[in-house]
Amino acid sequence: MSLAIKGRQVAERKLAIYLLALPIAFLLSVTVYPLLHTISLSVHDFRTGAFVGTQNFLRAFNDPALVASVRVTVIYVCVAVLSEAVLGLLAAVVINRSVSSPLLRGLIYSVMIVPMVTPSVAAGVIARLIYIPGYGILNYVLRAAGIISRDVLWLSTPSSAMFCVLSVDIWQWTPFVFLVLFAGLTAVPRDIVEAALVDGASGVELFRYVELPFLKNLLLMVVMFRFADTFRVFDHVMALTGGGPGSATEFLSVYLYRIAFKFWNLNYAAAIAIFVVIVASILMYFLGKVLTSEVA
Amino acid sequence: MLGSRAHHAIWRHIVQVLIIAGLLGYMFPFFWMVSTSLKPKSEFYTYPPSLLPGHPSFGAFSSVLIGRGYITLLGNSIVICLSAVIFILALSLLIAYPLTRLSLPARVKTGILQWILSLRFLPPIVVVVPIFAIIRTAGLYDRPVSLIFLYSAFGLPFAVWMVKGFLQEVPKELEEAAWVDGASRSYAFFRILLPLLAPGILATAVISFALSWSEFLFALILTATPRAQTFPVGVWGLVTQFQIIWNEMAAVGVISVIVPVCLLLFGRRYVLSALTFGVIREKS
Repeated sequence: MSLAIKGRQVAERKLAIYLLALPIAFLLSVTVYPLLHTISLSVHDFRTGAFVGTQNFLRAFNDPALVASVRVTVIYVCVAVLSEAVLGLLAAVVINRSVSSPLLRGLIYSVMIVPMVTPSVAAGVIARLIYIPGYGILNYVLRAAGIISRDVLWLSTPSSAMFCVLSVDIWQWTPFVFLVLFAGLTAVPRDIVEAALVDGASGVELFRYVELPFLKNLLLMVVMFRFADTFRVFDHVMALTGGGPGSATEFLSVYLYRIAFKFWNLNYAAAIAIFVVIVASILMYFLGKVLTSEVA
Repeated sequence: MLGSRAHHAIWRHIVQVLIIAGLLGYMFPFFWMVSTSLKPKSEFYTYPPSLLPGHPSFGAFSSVLIGRGYITLLGNSIVICLSAVIFILALSLLIAYPLTRLSLPARVKTGILQWILSLRFLPPIVVVVPIFAIIRTAGLYDRPVSLIFLYSAFGLPFAVWMVKGFLQEVPKELEEAAWVDGASRSYAFFRILLPLLAPGILATAVISFALSWSEFLFALILTATPRAQTFPVGVWGLVTQFQIIWNEMAAVGVISVIVPVCLLLFGRRYVLSALTFGVIREKS
């Protein structure tokens, strides 16, 4: 390597360090520093401020409300992610096969992007206008169709409240799964599809052996994104049920919010936060593996 | 053969009609919200609820924006989000440029990128407690500046990955040609690279704005009065009231959806491409 090139490389490295220093310090100060602060909070008592070691964590393991919260969070994440993945995949495959007009495709893109940019709090408002007894249109439609005879209190029965909260997530985010996979399908080479059809492949076989292998990595990626985002669900729950009735929709974020900002036990909340971070990190680790093989 | 083709064509038409019906159904909740926002109060006590307002009026919008003073929250949201977008763009260029244009060890590059991506998966609720404590001691509670700071940080990971993707698409040779002609690195960056990046930067700005615009958790915890409260906090405030006024609630919902949708009119293609990790590369 000649000296000139080496000199340029050193200069470039220096410049890179100057440019990166400020934004990285900024990111560290807003994410890593608070995380360290959380760890320190979690090992202290919230009244006396004395060091208590693992006491807050032991309390967390014996907290029935936390167990209940983990339970509903798991149900929420599984049902939401699974429904979004299946519905999004199904819609992408069916629509890709049956719609070829660019106009209609463009319309689908435009319509499907709207729920994604809707603030979740607003999505909660929309759901309220549909589920609420009295004005809500769902009860009216079901009554008119003869399916129910009396108004259902959608938001104040535990199981239906869970359904309502889930429905908002699925309505808002299935388009995300759909858009990614729909776009991914356009990358499937036309001649492979035609060769399969000439060989007499059925629609299901075409999906199983041609389309699905093409979509596998993308599907994995969107599922990971949805996993991470459903795990932190907060906004539309606050607007729709506030965690109730009882603790039927008190997901981890909502529970943590209540412990920290209603009971003001910041130290116990910090211990729960550490628990959430650990679970989130495990998810992150797997995502990192998928993405490095996909993007880099 | 002909029979099967005709059969196929009919089938396609049926599916297309079903898809359009499905799209309309998907949009129904929005329609219902808009319709509700235009209904005067008297129309909420009729049964069955009417699909369209009998006497449409913008009364709910003016009573919520002026009467309840939500126009202040709207202003706060716009100021906070625009400021955050400016910071996000500047910082993401500062990170993405060295990672794509300067010679750094590959391990350092992927390491930084992966770390930044991992922040995208950090649930904000786990850092909200210490951030609340820090903001309080710094005397920044209930101040827009603390939200600008946080939105810039939490919007950054996504923006870095987007900008990085757009930067990689611009051939390095364009800048190198300028250097050969005697241009400085900064001249090449501002006069050659940045104009080429403009559409990508615009898409990044739109998405960063939409993400900050939707943010609720930090705004809920770090603000208390209209001095710093953002619009989503106002939306939530109406929902949790004891007596809910339907048309006002729908009106704030409409406003909070209209703003990001209007922004999408700019560069829909790039926004789509970015929201779907660059999978969508359609020319439209």
